[in-house]
Amino acid sequence: MNRHQLGEFEEIVLLTVGILYKNAYGVAIIDEIQQRLGRNVSIGALQTVLRRLEDKGYLSSELGEATSVRGGKRKRYYSLTTLGSRVLRENQEQRVNLFKAIPNMAFPKQ
Amino acid sequence: MKFPAKTRPPEFALRFFRWFCDPLVVEDIEGDLTEMFWRDASSYSVRSANWRFAFNVLRLFRPGIVRKIKNPSLILHPSPMLKNYFITSIRSLARSKGFSAINIIGLAVGLATFCLISFYVYHELSFDRYHKNADRIVRIVENLRTENELLFQSVSSPPMGPHLLSYFPEVESYTRFQNWNLLAERNGISYYERDSYIADSTVFDVFSFQLINGDKKTALRDPFSIVLTESMAKKYFANEDPVGQTIKMDNDNYRVTGVMKDVPENSHFRFSNLISFSTWSRNNKQAEDREWFWNGFHTYILLRDASSIEQVRAKMQAFIKANIEKGGMYYEDLPLQPLASIYMDPQQRSWENGTRGSINNIYILSIIAVFILLIACFNYVNLATARASRRLKEVGLRKSLGAMRRMLIAQFLGESIIVAFIAALLSALIVWVILPQFRTIVDSPLSLSILPSLWQVVAAAFVLVLVIGILAGSYPALIISGFQPLQIFRPTTKGIYSHHNFRKVLVSVQFIISIMLVAGTLLVRDQIDLVKNQDLGFNKEATLVVPTNGDTVIMNHLEAVKNELKALKGVLAVTGSSTVPGQSTTNHYTQIEMTDGKMSPTNINFNFVDHDFLSTYKIKIIAGRDFRRDVKADDTTAFIINETAAKDFRWTADQAISKRVDHGNKGKIIGVFKDFNYQSLHTKVAPLMIALTYWPNRISIRIDSKDLAPTIDRVQQKWNELAPNLPFDYTFLDESFDRQYKADQQLSKVAGIFTGLAIFIGCLGLLGLTSFAVERRTKEIGIRKVLGASVVGVVILIAREFLWLIGIALIVATPITWILIQKWEQNFTLQAAINPSKFLLAGLCVLVFAGLTIVLLSYRAATANPTKALRTE
Repeated sequence: MNRHQLGEFEEIVLLTVGILYKNAYGVAIIDEIQQRLGRNVSIGALQTVLRRLEDKGYLSSELGEATSVRGGKRKRYYSLTTLGSRVLRENQEQRVNLFKAIPNMAFPKQ
Repeated sequence: MKFPAKTRPPEFALRFFRWFCDPLVVEDIEGDLTEMFWRDASSYSVRSANWRFAFNVLRLFRPGIVRKIKNPSLILHPSPMLKNYFITSIRSLARSKGFSAINIIGLAVGLATFCLISFYVYHELSFDRYHKNADRIVRIVENLRTENELLFQSVSSPPMGPHLLSYFPEVESYTRFQNWNLLAERNGISYYERDSYIADSTVFDVFSFQLINGDKKTALRDPFSIVLTESMAKKYFANEDPVGQTIKMDNDNYRVTGVMKDVPENSHFRFSNLISFSTWSRNNKQAEDREWFWNGFHTYILLRDASSIEQVRAKMQAFIKANIEKGGMYYEDLPLQPLASIYMDPQQRSWENGTRGSINNIYILSIIAVFILLIACFNYVNLATARASRRLKEVGLRKSLGAMRRMLIAQFLGESIIVAFIAALLSALIVWVILPQFRTIVDSPLSLSILPSLWQVVAAAFVLVLVIGILAGSYPALIISGFQPLQIFRPTTKGIYSHHNFRKVLVSVQFIISIMLVAGTLLVRDQIDLVKNQDLGFNKEATLVVPTNGDTVIMNHLEAVKNELKALKGVLAVTGSSTVPGQSTTNHYTQIEMTDGKMSPTNINFNFVDHDFLSTYKIKIIAGRDFRRDVKADDTTAFIINETAAKDFRWTADQAISKRVDHGNKGKIIGVFKDFNYQSLHTKVAPLMIALTYWPNRISIRIDSKDLAPTIDRVQQKWNELAPNLPFDYTFLDESFDRQYKADQQLSKVAGIFTGLAIFIGCLGLLGLTSFAVERRTKEIGIRKVLGASVVGVVILIAREFLWLIGIALIVATPITWILIQKWEQNFTLQAAINPSKFLLAGLCVLVFAGLTIVLLSYRAATANPTKALRTE
């Protein structure tokens, strides 16, 4: 049993932050999820999860530059912490193990 | 892409966001929102971007984003201003007494109806929940598959309880009931005890019935033991202690072993006494072990654990397979009904014990309650906004002296809460006065004892008042507190009086609700008239039904008794039968010859009758013949079925004649009679078979309807002469038959009354609004009159404003009501056509009441002396 319980959406956000590397701020994350998964995410849903992940210590954040399109407001960039990336890796291993454990009979190819 | 220079994210949403958002993250989220806004604006439109922005802000309003409340004492900080607010509120209420009275009376009537209906709804929903084990008790019911149909029955057979107990480890106990209709007698006091039940000795373990006197372990152990309820004990034993004494029921003596509290009114079935199950089972040991299809009992099961119901359900098929032989008739399923759901279960099941509620009626009444409360609240909103102009100077002054907007909002909210409180006190008084009448209208005891503890009721009332106060007060509070002082002291009418449309919407909604209620009530009445006056295929007028309970005096001389009665003046026909239309029939295991010549088992409704049954009830024979006295074999071998039964066995009426029937004794079908509705029109006519008996439980006497009362007297006299020990306890067939529509009739009555109230409250509000409209236009009317306008012209000028709203309301209300009524009528097998003229009638009715209110007021304004109007400044 994993000590670090990750919700499905939490996992997606963590992964997306990882993908965007130095560029992960609110709107960019929403765009990335929309592009890769075709899933519409509201700012409200995203921001709550980001804050929760930061509280858990999986993400850290710092304020960046301001642009005029943002009405002069600064961006907050998120990045994975070591704990965050470890949790993601553990999660992935678990999934792969589970996948392998399915007998071929139960899992016909196409 | 270029946008107009002023394009910006919506100010209101942004301010809201900045207000609630945690300051730690407000900057970057606002940036995200803004970025999204510009993107939306270029890919869709500025308008849609505005909406999306607002929607996003709304979705950010959640824990995790909302700021923590730092210093709660700030919110609760008391201030000397509060006292001032309170005083000004009371003063302003006192200053315009008319408006305040309208407000308070409207709200009070609305609240009172809301409370009454809530009480009724609460009563209906509280059924059977008082048992300590309520969540662990289930009733076992049957889905019985016969050759031709699937029967849903509430009953079960005697072996089920014991076998369930031994088969399922999850079952802790069971108890079985069977209804016996007994004639009780002691020291010359004699009544029919229709609600006598035999019950297993475990009944006091399963249910929380309270035994006042007696030992609950042994009370129902021995044969011929009886436990009386308090009221029955009082009836036969007055002030004596009944325990240890005997009471005669039918022909047996029973020993009273206990007295219990009366069964609470919110129980799905109620009894006057319980008789030990062993009284029955000592002679029926075989049946108790093996008769899996003797469906004359109601079995209740106590589970060890409320959650194990699913486990029992999962194993039920295995249980059926292991215990019950699968013949031509078998149990498709044995569902478990949780105790609290029995009363309101929408699945109709035959052979119910006790009465059933209607969840539909509960919905309809709840909707009416909310509607009436809404109308009352709208009144408040309308009048308060309309009257805002009166308070402008006060608001202006307060603002100039530094009052903040939210303080003003608090002040006006407080004021509406005060009004709501006064209204609540008044409504408590109304409820107190009306409750006894309300009880008779809904025909329900509604005793206060079913309510939870007093402080819970008071707390609920308190919350309700707060909600009403805030609901009604928030819009006026926002409007009034939003005026700018400069605007107030130099009024340009535009800014201040611009809440016209909002008020019109509210007034139209009131009209819509009123029209819906009126039209709905009329249509419900149509439907009930239809089912009550429908030709049921038998004669139900002027027929007395007298129970005989198998009394030997009557039974031994049945023909003589019938002849004596028939000889009386005014008596047209007499017949005996085991049951009469409108009362429950029994169903029997019977084998019937099918089209392929094989005998097929089925459960069919039976009525055992004498030779005069069909002729007395004027039921038509369509094939074959009636029973004949000169054919002696008819006594045991003749059966007559109804059309539906013939159809069910796939015969035409003529083919059905002389098909074989095996019902213990073998016989033949000798006739087919035309279907008649022996149950209410809520259900379809089911197959029915009749056979001869010389032991009827009921005697039906059809009498001359023109000579009703004297004939009844004569029959009673004769009866007392013939059977002095048997009470002449008659009922009118049509009355007891129509009692099956009790729930529907109640609905129609209650809806009618509350419709009247809704119109009353609505008109109160209209009265206020019109008088305000008149007041505001005093000068205009004065000038018009000076320039030569006629009285009629002025009345039309003012009335026009409201009258066309009624037209719109009619258009909106019609389709909604139409659909709702159509849905409700699905409860019947026969539906009244929806008559469009009822909507016009409803519209007209509202129009007349509203019109009268308006015209009355505007007439006064129109006839006033114009110089007076013009001089006032």
